[in-house]
Amino acid sequence: MPKQIRMPKLSDTMEEGRLIAWRKKVGDTVKRGEVLAEIETDKADMEFEAYTEGTVAQIVVEAGATVPVGTLIAVLRLPGEAEDAVAAVPAAEAQPQTPARVPAAPAGQAPATAPAKPVAPRAARTAAPAPTPARVELPAPPAGERVAALYAPDDDRIRATPRARRLAEERSIDLSELTGTGPHGAILVADLEAYLATLEGQTPDGDGVRATPLALRMASEQGTDLEAVKGSGPGGRITKSDLLAHWKREKAHSKEREAVMYRSTLQLSQKRKALIRNMVRSKAEAPHFYIQMDVATEALRDLRDQLNRDAGEKRPRLTYTHLMLKAAALALERHPHVNATYRAEENDIALYDAINIGLAVDVQDELVAPTVKDCQGHTVWQLAEEANSLIQRARMRKLQPADYADGTFTISNLGMFGVDRFYAIITPPQSSILSVSKIAERPVVRGGKLEIGQITTLGLSVDHRVIDGVRAAQFLGEIKRLLEEPRELAHDGNGHD
Amino acid sequence: METATTSGLDVRRLGRVPYAEALALQEDLRARLAAGELGDTVLLLEHPDVITFGRGAKPGSALADDDALRRGGYEVFRIGRGGDVTWHGPGQLVGYPILDLRRHGSDVHRYLRALEGVLIGALEHFGIAATRRAGYAGVWLDERRKIASIGVGIRAWRTVHGFALNVDCDLARFGAIVPCGLADVEMVSVASVLGAPVDRARIEAQVEHELRKAFG
Repeated sequence: MPKQIRMPKLSDTMEEGRLIAWRKKVGDTVKRGEVLAEIETDKADMEFEAYTEGTVAQIVVEAGATVPVGTLIAVLRLPGEAEDAVAAVPAAEAQPQTPARVPAAPAGQAPATAPAKPVAPRAARTAAPAPTPARVELPAPPAGERVAALYAPDDDRIRATPRARRLAEERSIDLSELTGTGPHGAILVADLEAYLATLEGQTPDGDGVRATPLALRMASEQGTDLEAVKGSGPGGRITKSDLLAHWKREKAHSKEREAVMYRSTLQLSQKRKALIRNMVRSKAEAPHFYIQMDVATEALRDLRDQLNRDAGEKRPRLTYTHLMLKAAALALERHPHVNATYRAEENDIALYDAINIGLAVDVQDELVAPTVKDCQGHTVWQLAEEANSLIQRARMRKLQPADYADGTFTISNLGMFGVDRFYAIITPPQSSILSVSKIAERPVVRGGKLEIGQITTLGLSVDHRVIDGVRAAQFLGEIKRLLEEPRELAHDGNGHD
Repeated sequence: METATTSGLDVRRLGRVPYAEALALQEDLRARLAAGELGDTVLLLEHPDVITFGRGAKPGSALADDDALRRGGYEVFRIGRGGDVTWHGPGQLVGYPILDLRRHGSDVHRYLRALEGVLIGALEHFGIAATRRAGYAGVWLDERRKIASIGVGIRAWRTVHGFALNVDCDLARFGAIVPCGLADVEMVSVASVLGAPVDRARIEAQVEHELRKAFG
């Protein structure tokens, strides 16, 4: 069957394209992937390739013309097809076909046509002005009726004899509802008569007959309210075409309404796509619960300042982040059941050997969480060095996949952005995440007296499948204690207690 | 944690390159992109004086015939990109992204808008509020004044050609053509808008930064 070539849609916003030049002429053979034509839209010039091998049988749109997307621009004859297989293309066929999908029509056939083999449901024909179609004479015309131009593989044109077509028009019959019993499935006058007989047999409801049997079934399957649809069929009945056109309009309207709400759309990076998958999976699979504790940070500040003073040039400058990292590492070492994951396939909880802590970092609008590996037994300075190097590489976008891999716990810090308290979403397959907020002066009650303290609020999001409330509280309490009495954060790796 | 893909965009700053040479380099890069030997690449460069006609060029877009243009010191090329006629020359920042658009949404218009966005973003950095003009690809200051031209060629979703931003070029050199077939268009440059000399390297760096944001 010959292949119809149509003006391609190269962009969601492309409505028409200019045919700049044909690279092939009638009679030329083309291979798959060979350039057929050049098409311009906006300021882009696209080489348009053939998707099938064949011979150019007809060029419908000449170079220089601008035509709507979906317009038939050429016909290819496939290998082995006889030259006369290609009928001249009826003018109506050259009309653009909207590639928009219509809702799935019921698979059944029109009720009236008993014997014929089922044919694929045909898309609606819009009321395009129909200049007289060019015709091809078939070798064996059926009794008294000639069959109009029939061929074309992706043809959703309806085959019918001219007499049947005329009669259908007179009686406002939607040909797409019928299955033809003539040659090549063409609709004959006899098919129409059988169809009309079924319509007459329809039992009217209170308001009379509103739709054809097929349209009634399609509407009920799709839950469409027929009140909103205008009928153009016999006796004002709503037909399949009416319904399809209605659905198409509805869809176009909702698209338009949607489109005006957006200023622009952003494409997703691979990282963003992975993040979306992970976060959705986390919230869907891991039952989160949340606890928070206020932590006094004066001692932590004093320790940080003292360590930085004593360390001089040879050690990295310590920040709260580094001390939090060390505190989390120590707490995880002491609460191994927190450094664990639920495994759905095995239906068990696996305790991690290593303590690998991810640090959520924002790099030019992209969230990354490189992991500091094997935190156990490392001094705060070693952890600081490793964390600094990871963050630096993240900023330069030099992180390798291994740098993100194998995290067993994550720290997310929004303190520098003025956040008072928050709860991050757990990164699967980990089972908890620590949310660090800003350190601020707040009123605190100590020993019955109101004082001003330096306080931060730590949030812990926990996967309840792995960790219960009491254990979560003990773990977060351990971190709080380590931060409020921070001497051991500065211990050497060998001598930790 | 999620797996990462590092930015695949290779940005090459080439300095001054003759038009024919750049054309051949683009085709070579596109072939290697198609063969999977290379990822997305962008060439940043400038050309010696040259006038190029796109496939969409209408008669009358050049105000002289090819020979007269050549005598006037212009090279002349007819090429397979969209758009009409344009001038390239010293003081212009030309960018040729060789991208596989299937990695960037397989949408021709979206790509053109993204290129405009790159230049608008870079210009904003230098205090120039540039904009798009509906129906006229390119970067504009208003309905009349144009600061950058855009024209791309696409085969199997792989791109060649790209954009030309007027940095501090001799705007009189546009005099031989009707830029992009639009009469009543005044070409301007970063220098002419700011009324001050500009540092091309800084603009190049900013454009590169925006390119990485858009296509990295």
